[in-house]
Amino acid sequence: MRNKVIIIGCGRLGANIAALASEKGQNVLVIDRNRNAFDRLPESFSGYTVNGDATDLSLLEEAYVKTAKEVVIATGDDNVNLFLAHVASVIYEIPNIYVRLDDPERGVLLKGLKIKAIYPFELSLNKFNLMKGENI
Amino acid sequence: MKIVIANGKHEADFVINMFKDQTKDLIVINSDKNFADYIVKNNKVAVFVGEPYKRFVLEDSGVRDADIFIALGEKDTDNYATCMLAKKEFNVKKCICTVTNPKNVDIFKRLGIDSVISSTYLLANSIKSASSLEDVIQTLSIEEDKIVLTEIVINPTYRIANQKIMDINFPQNATISCIYREPHVIIPNGSTIIKPKDKLVVISTPDEQEKVVKFIQTTNKK
Repeated sequence: MRNKVIIIGCGRLGANIAALASEKGQNVLVIDRNRNAFDRLPESFSGYTVNGDATDLSLLEEAYVKTAKEVVIATGDDNVNLFLAHVASVIYEIPNIYVRLDDPERGVLLKGLKIKAIYPFELSLNKFNLMKGENI
Repeated sequence: MKIVIANGKHEADFVINMFKDQTKDLIVINSDKNFADYIVKNNKVAVFVGEPYKRFVLEDSGVRDADIFIALGEKDTDNYATCMLAKKEFNVKKCICTVTNPKNVDIFKRLGIDSVISSTYLLANSIKSASSLEDVIQTLSIEEDKIVLTEIVINPTYRIANQKIMDINFPQNATISCIYREPHVIIPNGSTIIKPKDKLVVISTPDEQEKVVKFIQTTNKK
Protein backbone atom coordinates (compact mmCIF):
# COMPACT_ATOMS: atom_id res chain seq x y z
CA MET A 1 0.00 0.00 0.00
CA ARG A 2 1.26 3.46 -0.83
CA ASN A 3 0.95 5.50 2.34
CA LYS A 4 4.32 7.16 2.96
CA VAL A 5 5.37 10.74 2.46
CA ILE A 6 9.09 10.81 1.69
CA ILE A 7 11.06 14.03 1.96
CA ILE A 8 14.53 14.07 0.42
CA GLY A 9 16.74 16.86 1.67
CA CYS A 10 16.16 18.13 5.19
CA GLY A 11 16.94 21.79 4.59
CA ARG A 12 14.65 24.60 5.64
CA LEU A 13 12.01 23.68 3.06
CA GLY A 14 12.25 19.92 3.51
CA ALA A 15 12.21 20.10 7.30
CA ASN A 16 9.19 22.38 7.38
CA ILE A 17 7.22 20.28 4.93
CA ALA A 18 8.13 17.18 6.96
CA ALA A 19 7.05 18.81 10.21
CA LEU A 20 3.74 19.88 8.73
CA ALA A 21 2.98 16.50 7.23
CA SER A 22 3.89 14.78 10.50
CA GLU A 23 1.61 17.14 12.42
CA LYS A 24 -1.23 16.17 10.12
CA GLY A 25 -0.71 12.54 11.05
CA GLN A 26 0.98 11.44 7.83
CA ASN A 27 3.51 8.63 7.74
CA VAL A 28 6.63 10.70 7.10
CA LEU A 29 10.20 9.67 6.31
CA VAL A 30 13.00 12.21 5.82
CA ILE A 31 16.29 11.45 4.07
CA ASP A 32 19.43 13.57 4.28
CA ARG A 33 23.06 12.71 3.84
CA ASN A 34 24.03 15.04 6.66
CA ARG A 35 22.90 13.78 10.08
CA ASN A 36 22.96 17.27 11.58
CA ALA A 37 20.29 18.37 9.11
CA PHE A 38 17.70 16.51 11.17
CA ASP A 39 18.21 19.10 13.94
CA ARG A 40 15.94 21.32 11.87
CA LEU A 41 13.00 19.03 12.61
CA PRO A 42 10.87 20.12 15.61
CA GLU A 43 10.69 18.13 18.84
CA SER A 44 7.16 17.09 17.93
CA PHE A 45 8.25 15.38 14.71
CA SER A 46 7.08 11.78 14.89
CA GLY A 47 8.28 10.43 11.53
CA TYR A 48 11.40 8.53 10.57
CA THR A 49 14.79 9.86 9.56
CA VAL A 50 17.22 8.07 7.27
CA ASN A 51 20.81 9.24 7.10
CA GLY A 52 22.44 8.62 3.71
CA ASP A 53 22.75 9.52 0.05
CA ALA A 54 19.39 9.31 -1.69
CA THR A 55 20.97 9.06 -5.12
CA ASP A 56 21.98 5.54 -4.12
CA LEU A 57 18.90 3.55 -5.03
CA SER A 58 19.55 0.83 -2.48
CA LEU A 59 19.09 3.48 0.20
CA LEU A 60 15.81 4.60 -1.37
CA GLU A 61 14.59 1.04 -1.39
CA GLU A 62 15.50 0.61 2.26
CA ALA A 63 13.52 3.77 2.88
CA TYR A 64 10.42 2.06 1.49
CA VAL A 65 10.29 4.25 -1.62
CA LYS A 66 7.99 1.69 -3.20
CA THR A 67 5.34 2.45 -0.61
CA ALA A 68 5.46 6.22 -1.14
CA LYS A 69 2.33 8.06 -2.16
CA GLU A 70 4.18 11.35 -2.24
CA VAL A 71 7.78 12.48 -2.47
CA VAL A 72 9.17 15.95 -1.93
CA ILE A 73 12.64 16.48 -3.37
CA ALA A 74 14.47 19.49 -1.99
CA THR A 75 18.20 18.88 -1.76
CA GLY A 76 20.60 21.73 -2.37
CA ASP A 77 21.70 20.41 -5.77
CA ASP A 78 19.45 20.91 -8.81
CA ASN A 79 20.95 18.02 -10.74
CA VAL A 80 20.43 15.66 -7.81
CA ASN A 81 16.84 16.91 -7.53
CA LEU A 82 16.27 16.44 -11.24
CA PHE A 83 17.71 12.92 -11.23
CA LEU A 84 15.68 11.91 -8.17
CA ALA A 85 12.51 13.31 -9.72
CA HIS A 86 13.11 11.20 -12.83
CA VAL A 87 13.83 8.13 -10.70
CA ALA A 88 10.69 8.70 -8.61
CA SER A 89 8.60 9.09 -11.73
CA VAL A 90 10.03 6.58 -14.20
CA ILE A 91 11.35 3.83 -11.94
CA TYR A 92 9.11 3.95 -8.87
CA GLU A 93 6.00 5.57 -10.42
CA ILE A 94 5.23 7.56 -7.28
CA PRO A 95 1.85 9.26 -7.79
CA ASN A 96 2.76 12.69 -6.41
CA ILE A 97 6.19 14.16 -7.00
CA TYR A 98 7.25 17.63 -5.96
CA VAL A 99 10.69 18.96 -6.77
CA ARG A 100 12.45 22.22 -6.06
CA LEU A 101 14.70 23.60 -8.78
CA ASP A 102 16.71 26.76 -8.27
CA ASP A 103 17.40 27.04 -11.99
CA PRO A 104 14.06 27.35 -13.83
CA GLU A 105 15.74 26.35 -17.10
CA ARG A 106 16.41 22.90 -15.70
CA GLY A 107 12.63 22.46 -15.71
CA VAL A 108 12.53 21.66 -19.46
CA LEU A 109 13.65 18.16 -18.54
CA LEU A 110 10.44 17.57 -16.60
CA LYS A 111 8.32 17.88 -19.75
CA GLY A 112 5.99 14.95 -20.30
CA LEU A 113 6.40 13.63 -16.75
CA LYS A 114 3.93 13.90 -13.90
CA ILE A 115 6.22 16.01 -11.74
CA LYS A 116 5.32 19.27 -10.06
CA ALA A 117 8.16 21.75 -9.84
CA ILE A 118 8.72 24.61 -7.42
CA TYR A 119 10.96 27.46 -8.62
CA PRO A 120 11.99 29.78 -5.77
CA PHE A 121 13.30 32.28 -8.31
CA GLU A 122 9.92 32.65 -10.01
CA LEU A 123 8.16 32.89 -6.67
CA SER A 124 10.48 35.70 -5.56
CA LEU A 125 10.11 37.54 -8.85
CA ASN A 126 6.35 37.26 -8.77
CA LYS A 127 6.26 38.47 -5.20
CA PHE A 128 8.49 41.40 -6.07
CA ASN A 129 6.32 42.37 -9.00
CA LEU A 130 3.27 42.07 -6.83
CA MET A 131 4.74 44.25 -4.08
CA LYS A 132 5.96 46.81 -6.54
CA GLY A 133 2.57 46.92 -8.18
CA GLU A 134 0.97 47.60 -4.84
CA ASN A 135 3.39 50.22 -3.67
CA ILE A 136 3.82 52.37 -6.73
CA MET B 1 31.21 13.70 -37.24
CA LYS B 2 30.46 16.16 -34.48
CA ILE B 3 31.79 15.12 -31.08
CA VAL B 4 31.31 16.93 -27.79
CA ILE B 5 33.44 16.30 -24.72
CA ALA B 6 32.02 17.81 -21.55
CA ASN B 7 34.03 18.18 -18.34
CA GLY B 8 36.51 15.66 -16.98
CA LYS B 9 40.16 16.00 -16.18
CA HIS B 10 42.83 13.66 -17.50
CA GLU B 11 40.34 11.30 -19.05
CA ALA B 12 39.03 14.27 -21.06
CA ASP B 13 42.56 15.22 -22.05
CA PHE B 14 43.13 11.67 -23.29
CA VAL B 15 39.91 11.45 -25.26
CA ILE B 16 40.44 14.89 -26.81
CA ASN B 17 43.90 13.90 -27.89
CA MET B 18 42.46 10.77 -29.47
CA PHE B 19 39.73 12.53 -31.43
CA LYS B 20 41.25 15.86 -32.33
CA ASP B 21 42.81 14.63 -35.56
CA GLN B 22 39.91 12.43 -36.52
CA THR B 23 37.18 15.01 -36.58
CA LYS B 24 37.04 18.64 -37.56
CA ASP B 25 34.04 19.20 -35.41
CA LEU B 26 35.23 18.65 -31.86
CA ILE B 27 33.59 20.73 -29.15
CA VAL B 28 35.19 20.78 -25.73
CA ILE B 29 33.38 22.15 -22.69
CA ASN B 30 35.00 22.34 -19.27
CA SER B 31 33.87 24.10 -16.13
CA ASP B 32 37.35 24.33 -14.64
CA LYS B 33 39.08 27.40 -16.06
CA ASN B 34 42.56 26.22 -15.13
CA PHE B 35 42.09 22.81 -16.62
CA ALA B 36 40.55 24.36 -19.72
CA ASP B 37 43.75 26.38 -20.15
CA TYR B 38 45.77 23.20 -19.80
CA ILE B 39 43.72 21.44 -22.47
CA VAL B 40 44.09 24.40 -24.82
CA LYS B 41 47.85 24.40 -24.37
CA ASN B 42 48.25 20.64 -24.52
CA ASN B 43 45.93 19.81 -27.39
CA LYS B 44 45.66 23.06 -29.34
CA VAL B 45 41.90 22.92 -29.37
CA ALA B 46 39.40 25.56 -28.27
CA VAL B 47 37.67 24.99 -24.96
CA PHE B 48 34.36 26.50 -23.96
CA VAL B 49 34.41 27.31 -20.25
CA GLY B 50 31.14 26.67 -18.44
CA GLU B 51 28.95 24.12 -16.70
CA PRO B 52 27.65 21.77 -19.40
CA TYR B 53 24.37 21.05 -17.61
CA LYS B 54 23.36 24.66 -18.16
CA ARG B 55 21.24 25.32 -21.16
CA PHE B 56 23.00 28.49 -22.30
CA VAL B 57 26.39 26.76 -22.18
CA LEU B 58 25.21 24.03 -24.54
CA GLU B 59 23.47 26.63 -26.70
CA ASP B 60 26.52 28.92 -26.98
CA SER B 61 29.03 26.15 -27.52
CA GLY B 62 26.98 24.89 -30.45
CA VAL B 63 26.40 21.27 -29.54
CA ARG B 64 23.10 21.04 -31.39
CA ASP B 65 22.72 17.89 -33.52
CA ALA B 66 26.06 16.48 -32.37
CA ASP B 67 26.66 12.83 -33.23
CA ILE B 68 28.32 11.89 -29.97
CA PHE B 69 28.23 13.64 -26.61
CA ILE B 70 30.53 12.42 -23.84
CA ALA B 71 30.06 13.58 -20.24
CA LEU B 72 33.16 12.96 -18.12
CA GLY B 73 32.40 15.03 -15.03
CA GLU B 74 33.09 13.96 -11.47
CA LYS B 75 29.53 13.90 -10.19
CA ASP B 76 27.21 11.27 -11.60
CA THR B 77 24.11 13.40 -11.27
CA ASP B 78 25.80 16.32 -13.08
CA ASN B 79 26.68 14.01 -15.95
CA TYR B 80 23.14 12.72 -15.93
CA ALA B 81 21.61 16.19 -16.14
CA THR B 82 24.12 17.14 -18.87
CA CYS B 83 23.34 14.12 -21.03
CA MET B 84 19.57 14.44 -20.61
CA LEU B 85 19.70 18.11 -21.58
CA ALA B 86 21.89 17.37 -24.60
CA LYS B 87 19.60 14.60 -25.71
CA LYS B 88 16.20 16.11 -25.08
CA GLU B 89 16.85 19.74 -25.96
CA PHE B 90 19.78 19.69 -28.36
CA ASN B 91 18.98 16.66 -30.47
CA VAL B 92 22.27 14.91 -29.75
CA LYS B 93 22.28 11.48 -31.37
CA LYS B 94 24.24 9.45 -28.87
CA CYS B 95 25.13 10.30 -25.28
CA ILE B 96 27.86 8.57 -23.34
CA CYS B 97 27.90 9.18 -19.61
CA THR B 98 30.58 8.16 -17.14
CA VAL B 99 29.65 7.37 -13.55
CA THR B 100 31.59 6.63 -10.38
CA ASN B 101 28.82 4.66 -8.68
CA PRO B 102 28.50 1.40 -10.64
CA LYS B 103 24.89 1.03 -9.53
CA ASN B 104 24.04 4.01 -11.70
CA VAL B 105 24.89 2.18 -14.92
CA ASP B 106 21.58 0.36 -15.14
CA ILE B 107 19.50 3.20 -13.74
CA PHE B 108 20.85 5.85 -16.11
CA LYS B 109 20.23 3.53 -19.05
CA ARG B 110 16.66 2.94 -17.89
CA LEU B 111 16.14 6.68 -17.68
CA GLY B 112 17.19 7.13 -21.28
CA ILE B 113 20.96 7.59 -21.57
CA ASP B 114 22.36 5.59 -24.48
CA SER B 115 25.59 4.45 -22.96
CA VAL B 116 26.80 4.55 -19.37
CA ILE B 117 30.35 3.69 -18.42
CA SER B 118 31.69 2.94 -14.97
CA SER B 119 35.26 1.79 -14.53
CA THR B 120 34.29 -0.10 -11.37
CA TYR B 121 31.46 -1.80 -13.23
CA LEU B 122 33.79 -2.86 -16.02
CA LEU B 123 36.35 -4.01 -13.51
CA ALA B 124 33.76 -6.02 -11.58
CA ASN B 125 32.52 -7.63 -14.76
CA SER B 126 35.96 -8.59 -15.91
CA ILE B 127 36.75 -10.03 -12.49
CA LYS B 128 33.49 -11.92 -12.61
CA SER B 129 34.23 -13.44 -15.97
CA ALA B 130 37.83 -14.09 -15.04
CA SER B 131 36.99 -15.83 -11.79
CA SER B 132 34.02 -17.93 -12.85
CA LEU B 133 35.91 -19.10 -15.86
CA GLU B 134 39.22 -19.75 -14.18
CA ASP B 135 42.45 -18.76 -15.77
CA VAL B 136 42.12 -20.87 -18.89
CA ILE B 137 39.21 -18.90 -20.24
CA GLN B 138 38.85 -15.50 -21.74
CA THR B 139 35.64 -13.84 -22.74
CA LEU B 140 34.74 -11.03 -25.02
CA SER B 141 31.34 -9.37 -25.22
CA ILE B 142 30.11 -8.04 -28.51
CA GLU B 143 26.97 -6.28 -29.69
CA GLU B 144 26.40 -4.60 -26.32
CA ASP B 145 26.66 -7.80 -24.33
CA LYS B 146 24.13 -9.70 -26.45
CA ILE B 147 26.75 -12.14 -27.66
CA VAL B 148 29.77 -13.48 -25.82
CA LEU B 149 32.81 -15.22 -27.14
CA THR B 150 34.36 -17.66 -24.73
CA GLU B 151 37.80 -19.07 -25.18
CA ILE B 152 38.40 -22.30 -23.34
CA VAL B 153 41.25 -24.78 -23.32
CA ILE B 154 40.42 -28.49 -23.29
CA ASN B 155 41.87 -30.42 -20.42
CA PRO B 156 42.52 -34.16 -21.09
CA THR B 157 40.24 -35.01 -18.16
CA TYR B 158 37.21 -33.34 -19.74
CA ARG B 159 34.47 -35.69 -20.80
CA ILE B 160 34.30 -34.19 -24.30
CA ALA B 161 38.03 -34.65 -24.97
CA ASN B 162 38.66 -37.07 -27.84
CA GLN B 163 34.99 -37.06 -28.84
CA LYS B 164 33.27 -36.07 -32.06
CA ILE B 165 31.25 -32.89 -31.78
CA MET B 166 28.14 -34.64 -33.12
CA ASP B 167 28.31 -37.14 -30.25
CA ILE B 168 28.62 -34.75 -27.33
CA ASN B 169 25.17 -33.13 -27.45
CA PHE B 170 26.48 -29.56 -27.26
CA PRO B 171 24.10 -27.07 -25.55
CA GLN B 172 21.68 -25.09 -27.66
CA ASN B 173 22.15 -21.36 -28.28
CA ALA B 174 25.88 -21.93 -28.38
CA THR B 175 28.26 -22.95 -31.12
CA ILE B 176 31.90 -23.91 -31.29
CA SER B 177 32.86 -21.34 -33.88
CA CYS B 178 36.46 -22.42 -34.23
CA ILE B 179 39.12 -24.58 -32.67
CA TYR B 180 42.64 -23.40 -32.29
CA ARG B 181 45.01 -26.34 -32.41
CA GLU B 182 48.67 -25.30 -32.65
CA PRO B 183 49.46 -24.16 -35.26
CA HIS B 184 46.15 -24.53 -37.11
CA VAL B 185 42.74 -22.99 -36.88
CA ILE B 186 39.98 -25.47 -37.54
CA ILE B 187 36.43 -24.56 -38.46
CA PRO B 188 34.70 -27.55 -36.95
CA ASN B 189 31.82 -29.65 -38.22
CA GLY B 190 30.00 -32.53 -36.59
CA SER B 191 32.70 -35.05 -37.28
CA THR B 192 35.53 -32.94 -35.89
CA ILE B 193 37.15 -34.58 -32.88
CA ILE B 194 37.92 -32.34 -29.92
CA LYS B 195 41.41 -33.05 -28.66
CA PRO B 196 43.18 -32.20 -25.40
CA LYS B 197 44.92 -28.81 -25.46
CA ASP B 198 42.53 -27.57 -28.16
CA LYS B 199 41.43 -24.02 -27.62
CA LEU B 200 37.70 -23.78 -28.31
CA VAL B 201 36.18 -20.46 -29.26
CA VAL B 202 32.53 -20.69 -28.34
CA ILE B 203 29.95 -18.15 -29.34
CA SER B 204 26.84 -17.95 -27.17
CA THR B 205 24.33 -15.72 -25.46
CA PRO B 206 25.44 -14.39 -22.05
CA ASP B 207 22.73 -16.47 -20.35
CA GLU B 208 24.08 -19.67 -21.84
CA GLN B 209 27.72 -18.92 -21.11
CA GLU B 210 27.82 -20.46 -17.66
CA LYS B 211 26.00 -23.58 -18.83
CA VAL B 212 28.33 -24.00 -21.77
CA VAL B 213 31.42 -23.62 -19.63
CA LYS B 214 30.06 -26.12 -17.14
CA PHE B 215 29.25 -28.50 -19.97
CA ILE B 216 32.71 -28.30 -21.48
CA GLN B 217 34.46 -28.59 -18.13
CA THR B 218 32.56 -31.68 -17.03
CA THR B 219 35.19 -34.26 -16.29
CA ASN B 220 35.10 -38.02 -16.74
CA LYS B 221 33.93 -39.80 -13.67
CA LYS B 222 36.38 -42.53 -12.95
